[in-house]
Amino acid sequence: MSITATPFTEAAGLALAARHEIISMTSAAKASHVASALSVVDVLSVLYSGAANISPANMDDPDRDIVILSKGHSASALYSVLALQGFFPKEWLAKYCNNDAPLGGHVTSKGVPGVELSTGSLGHGLPYGLGIAMSRKKSGAKGRVFVVMSDGECDEGTTWESAMIANHHELDNLVVIVDRNKIQSLTFTEDTLKLEPFADKWIAFGWAAHTVPGHDYTRLAAALVQQSGPTCVIADTTKGKGVDFMENSVLWHYKPPSADDVTKAFEQLEKNY
Amino acid sequence: MRDTFVKTLLEAAKKDKNIILMTGDLGYGVLDTFEKELPGQFINSGVNEQAMMGMAAGYASTGKRVFVYSIGNFPTLRCLEQIRNDVCLMNNPVVVVSVGAGYAYGSQGYTHHALEDIAVLRALPNMEVIVPADPAETAELTLSIIASRKPTYLRLGKSGEPTIHTSAPKVSHGTINEVSPGTSGTLIFAGSVGTVAVATAKELAQQGVSVAVASMPFVSTIDINYLQGALMKGPVIVIEEHSYRGGVGTAVLEAANAANLQGAIGLIAANQNNLSQIGDQNFLRSANGISVENIIKKFNALKVN
Repeated sequence: MSITATPFTEAAGLALAARHEIISMTSAAKASHVASALSVVDVLSVLYSGAANISPANMDDPDRDIVILSKGHSASALYSVLALQGFFPKEWLAKYCNNDAPLGGHVTSKGVPGVELSTGSLGHGLPYGLGIAMSRKKSGAKGRVFVVMSDGECDEGTTWESAMIANHHELDNLVVIVDRNKIQSLTFTEDTLKLEPFADKWIAFGWAAHTVPGHDYTRLAAALVQQSGPTCVIADTTKGKGVDFMENSVLWHYKPPSADDVTKAFEQLEKNY
Repeated sequence: MRDTFVKTLLEAAKKDKNIILMTGDLGYGVLDTFEKELPGQFINSGVNEQAMMGMAAGYASTGKRVFVYSIGNFPTLRCLEQIRNDVCLMNNPVVVVSVGAGYAYGSQGYTHHALEDIAVLRALPNMEVIVPADPAETAELTLSIIASRKPTYLRLGKSGEPTIHTSAPKVSHGTINEVSPGTSGTLIFAGSVGTVAVATAKELAQQGVSVAVASMPFVSTIDINYLQGALMKGPVIVIEEHSYRGGVGTAVLEAANAANLQGAIGLIAANQNNLSQIGDQNFLRSANGISVENIIKKFNALKVN
């Protein structure tokens, strides 16, 4: 809570490097969810470049901040950011999804430094983070808990069960960041199960809610600076952000980039950043 | 059984502030003393088992020993994936405690009957399933669970269960506790349904047949040495207040198969022919095939003359 809203230039460099890794590793592994990872990577880059008090130096400190990526299908984004920040060797990324490799297609915690919770089934990260936040609050321990969720994930009932519990117990150490890219598995969120008025829902559940541009490092960081109760930051994002032909398309929720796609995507990154 | 559990937990929790008791808004008149004496270690989450179980796992990840208490299917089937992923996969030391085993809530209807919970929880990796026979075993097992750091499922009856063990049970991990000896066969049971096993042994004794009666509270870790010895004497009948499919009897069959044991094993469990049948615990046990008469019939069918 002592973080100040300085411009997050480090996050910009981290996010761009991570975008290259995400595209390369999903292509090599022929894995899905490249667009989901490109959507959330700026949020993760802000968290791991100083907005959250977590680094390889303090990752076993019981007072560290906790970051949980609940949208476990965006694993390539988390792994890239963690590797680039030195939590584990960057070489691991090239073996993403390989036989007997440490990094699986959905977020895997065992043997992966910096990963707090294995995820992949939606709606698990928030209750888990809520438990850590409640334990810390009751015992007077320091450190906040950041749970990064997808917007489609908010269809899960545990989201709203947890929202009620966090409000009732006045958890001022719990932050949800929703990657609001407006696309879920089959189509747009508003055509699947309406989330709007989304911020109002959180506010009605007793949370503070802030909607911020989800690819703006400084605005994101500013929204995470301090809180007085459970807080939801709705990061207004673009699915597939940074690669024009992947943006706002359900197809790239699934399609692994071909070698040709990788070349074109890297040209896009060169142009856009 | 539930009062013994809570009393034992309370005494331990007074000495260990890392013990936490969570409930999904159940336990009226049962958890009150715990809440009053240790409010900082008690959480009523509300009616939200899925969030509660995920929360319990996260809470336990901070070094706490979290007991999650509710009725039968609610802290088990309702939040199964939270137990699977957040408790078992992450190996967090959560203890799922259900009350109302089998037909304990008989007249309340099938929604309140716990008849598939052992099969389902037993299938989860890292999960230790424990089914005490009576209040004496409950106290001992609660203490041993507190001392362990494993994900655990503790399946309790309700209230007023008679004491089955005639002397204080010595609980050690994975052992079968013999209640009374016998020479021609063995009735192995899990839970308060042991009273039916004891009644059956008495009936057989009157017919001149001596069978041992034994409690098997550890369903995930089976006492192969005891089982082997029992099978050498005669038929082993496994009695449980649970579905036939995947329960305690199945666990014994699996263990016997893995150890290549020879001998006759019979299963007595709920046949679940009429899910909507209403009645008290004894009525529903009997109506679903868990009776002295059926156990003797099974024993006689398997014994070698």
